[in-house]
Amino acid sequence: MSSNIAPAQVELTIPCQPEYVAVARLAMSGIASRMHFTYEQIEDLRLAVGELCTLSVEWANKNNRQEARIVLRTEISSNKLTVDILDTAGPRHCGEGTGRDVEEENLAQLLITLLVDEAEVIPQPDGTLVRMVKYVGQR
Amino acid sequence: MNFKIETQTLEDNLPVIRLGGEVDVYTAPQLKQAMIALLEKGVKRFIVDLTNVEYLDSTALGVLIGGLKRIREVGGNLLLICPSARIRRVFEITGLDKVFDMHNSEDEAKKAPEKE
Repeated sequence: MSSNIAPAQVELTIPCQPEYVAVARLAMSGIASRMHFTYEQIEDLRLAVGELCTLSVEWANKNNRQEARIVLRTEISSNKLTVDILDTAGPRHCGEGTGRDVEEENLAQLLITLLVDEAEVIPQPDGTLVRMVKYVGQR
Repeated sequence: MNFKIETQTLEDNLPVIRLGGEVDVYTAPQLKQAMIALLEKGVKRFIVDLTNVEYLDSTALGVLIGGLKRIREVGGNLLLICPSARIRRVFEITGLDKVFDMHNSEDEAKKAPEKE
């Protein structure tokens, strides 16, 4: 594998349903494996994507959006991987959980914070975009 | 990747739920059902064997915490077998390795002292 990886984008769209979350995780592993991440970092990315997709699924359930989709969009650079998880699961009202167990939801948030270097939540008209960045060479 | 779940009873009448594959938002409800079935039978001590688990997320952790709370309310305990460093790491980064009774093997779990 070349050390100079040209910036590249990979995109995957899945239904916002529990049985497809594993597909997004698998794609994330494959994409991260093309970069100079350690095995542990690849696992971190896989888990972070799984947690974010699970949150999207929970919000789609709460908002009764059976037709919702999740778009996993990644931008591969030589020193970092940017991952966008965009859903059409409807609005996430501040301070209002998905109805999932509060501890579970807190664990999910904690994991996402700990597993990636940057994470930003950007509300969208029809759902939510979460942008995560993981740098190559960092912990 | 394929999820597997099986409940067995060890020779000393100790139930063990053996899991394999990926325990996530799609499969964790089956773990919840298996634990509820044991709790409804009045079981006060059981093992969840994570030896063959390849992936575990917050949904699975939430189900395990729920089971642990319920069994500790009746003075019982839930023991985990988790020899995999990859899976144990998820417990460690969330601090849950200090909450659960975690063991590296079935023999070690069976010998664990009963909690008050």
